Amino acid sequence: MKILVCIKQIPDMASKFKPNAANTWFTETDLAFRMNEYDEYAVEEAIKLKEKQGADPSDLVVLSVGPARVVEALKKALAMGCDRGVHIHDDESNLKDPWQIASLIAAYAKKENFDIIFTGMQSQDRGSGQVGVTLAGDLGCSCVTTAINFSLEAGVVTAKRELEGGAKGVVKLKLPAVVTCQLGLNTPRYPTLPNIMKARKKEIAVLKAAELSAEGPRAVTEKFYHPVKKGTGLVLEGEPAALAVKVLELIKEKTTVLRG
Amino acid sequence: MNFELTEEQKIIQATAREFAEKELAPAAADLDRGGDRKIFLGNLAKLAELGFMGLGIKADYGGAEAGSVALSLAITEIARACASTAVTLAVNNLVAEIIQAAGSEDQKKKYLRDICSGAYPAASLALTEPCAGSDSAAVAVTAVRDGEEWVLNGSKIFITSAPYAGVFAVFALTDKTALKGKGISCFLVEAGAKGLTIGKEEHKMGQRASATNELSFDNCRIPADALLGKLNSGFTSAAEGLAGGRINIGSLALGIGLAAMDYAAAYSAERAQFGKKISSFEAIQWMIADSYTELEAARLLLMSAAAKRETGKSHMKEAAMGKMFATEAANRACYNAVQILGGYGYTDQYPVERYARDARVTTIYEGTNEIQRLIIAREILKSI
Repeated sequence: MKILVCIKQIPDMASKFKPNAANTWFTETDLAFRMNEYDEYAVEEAIKLKEKQGADPSDLVVLSVGPARVVEALKKALAMGCDRGVHIHDDESNLKDPWQIASLIAAYAKKENFDIIFTGMQSQDRGSGQVGVTLAGDLGCSCVTTAINFSLEAGVVTAKRELEGGAKGVVKLKLPAVVTCQLGLNTPRYPTLPNIMKARKKEIAVLKAAELSAEGPRAVTEKFYHPVKKGTGLVLEGEPAALAVKVLELIKEKTTVLRG
Repeated sequence: MNFELTEEQKIIQATAREFAEKELAPAAADLDRGGDRKIFLGNLAKLAELGFMGLGIKADYGGAEAGSVALSLAITEIARACASTAVTLAVNNLVAEIIQAAGSEDQKKKYLRDICSGAYPAASLALTEPCAGSDSAAVAVTAVRDGEEWVLNGSKIFITSAPYAGVFAVFALTDKTALKGKGISCFLVEAGAKGLTIGKEEHKMGQRASATNELSFDNCRIPADALLGKLNSGFTSAAEGLAGGRINIGSLALGIGLAAMDYAAAYSAERAQFGKKISSFEAIQWMIADSYTELEAARLLLMSAAAKRETGKSHMKEAAMGKMFATEAANRACYNAVQILGGYGYTDQYPVERYARDARVTTIYEGTNEIQRLIIAREILKSI
């Protein structure tokens, strides 16, 4: 079985984001990067699937589009258990739209005939949620989004999805398929230190973005900005007991007073 | 010159940070107040599973072979959340490195796997005695050869992890006639050895989740092959390991200092007095500026010492400098953090008083800072 997992490296979301010179995205200067949280669920699910294959050896490829820094995220995925890496080197990936990113991945994946592709349901920074579904469209695969449970039996994927209002849905789909992963699907493992060191020997193939796809953008980001802060106070209304709970929640959420 | 960590070092640092935030930080305050030791030991087991107990140990013996820089980074991240866990991890790695450096092939195979895998909840270093603290060459525990055994007698004090250690590296006098410090040997004594008694646990000011006990040896018989390294060369065998230990304790102190200042700086940006956030006052800004500058200088000293150690260069002086400077910077940072939080910082409703207590011992153990200064001066003056 051939499995692909697509990951993105994103900034630490607690960072202070400053607009770039063109005001079209944030500048990367001084930011620390990590693997997108939803992609960690994708990596974990892909590794679990590989581990279940047992006698049938699978090939689990982890792919990321971006500048040289994304190798760190690829190496983490390799340390967690992926077999080999593919780095689509693109120094301007952060300015590309979901269509362009999906086109790059599809250009590579078309030749590889993956049975199943996992990715996060969205990135924590751009958050379009479009790359997975667009990739499925490009490849002609079936697709399920926001999976919170996954199984594969006799070539059929069964995935549980979280719907609005707490309802759940179950879908079945044929391979090849793209699965976008949501919080709750699994608990990603920590890479062990020996595996982090051993992952140095795993292959990471580097492909140049310009040689894979020359697709132009379909949705151009015009402006990136922080909304003006409103200095108004917050008025809570209701029964005293319910108000106390609300106030406590606000203190926990907005301040460090109850930390530690 | 390159100040960048390797990708592997960054991943190890991030893994340690994430583990510490998720698994260690939530339990740290309760464990400090005497919480369930099973939770503490459970966290040690998880850290062993991830490979943190043998960071510098070769893969052949179950280690991660990740190097001294990664070890320093990991200890700092773990100490940010729980200094008691960090010191246990530091001592385990120290004992493992001493065994790797001085042990026979059989000893390495026997003990390193169990330390790295967590089969031993911890490993322990038994050097200090009631009358041999900074004057460590005054060791009075004796080891006398009797046929195919060594017989140990005497007592040790302030021994980290004693109640749950699987193996102790014990320093004992084997030649009473030799010049001071020249007749001491190191032995590996397994937990449960007949004649070895774990004495009372100390009630400490800080790092309270980590046990510190007396040990007593009463005709404790251990096999002849328990000798680690050469006879009467205990200090020589352990010297390299002990230098690494200093880097680790400096790294631990750095973690505590950063935790304290991160908390205090965030607090200052929210706490208002005189109608303004206290972070807008110069008095607070200077404390923040001074402490972060000192902690950054400490980090660079420690990284430099660890990089030298990792590449096989002499690092005796640098390790002592890193330990001395980082532990004192951390104590000043904790003092400032409590000051910034004011009365609140003096209560256990906030974590900075715990950080301050945890930091205090770092200028004392692993060689007092007075001894570190002697080492630094000796290393400088011997080349003149």
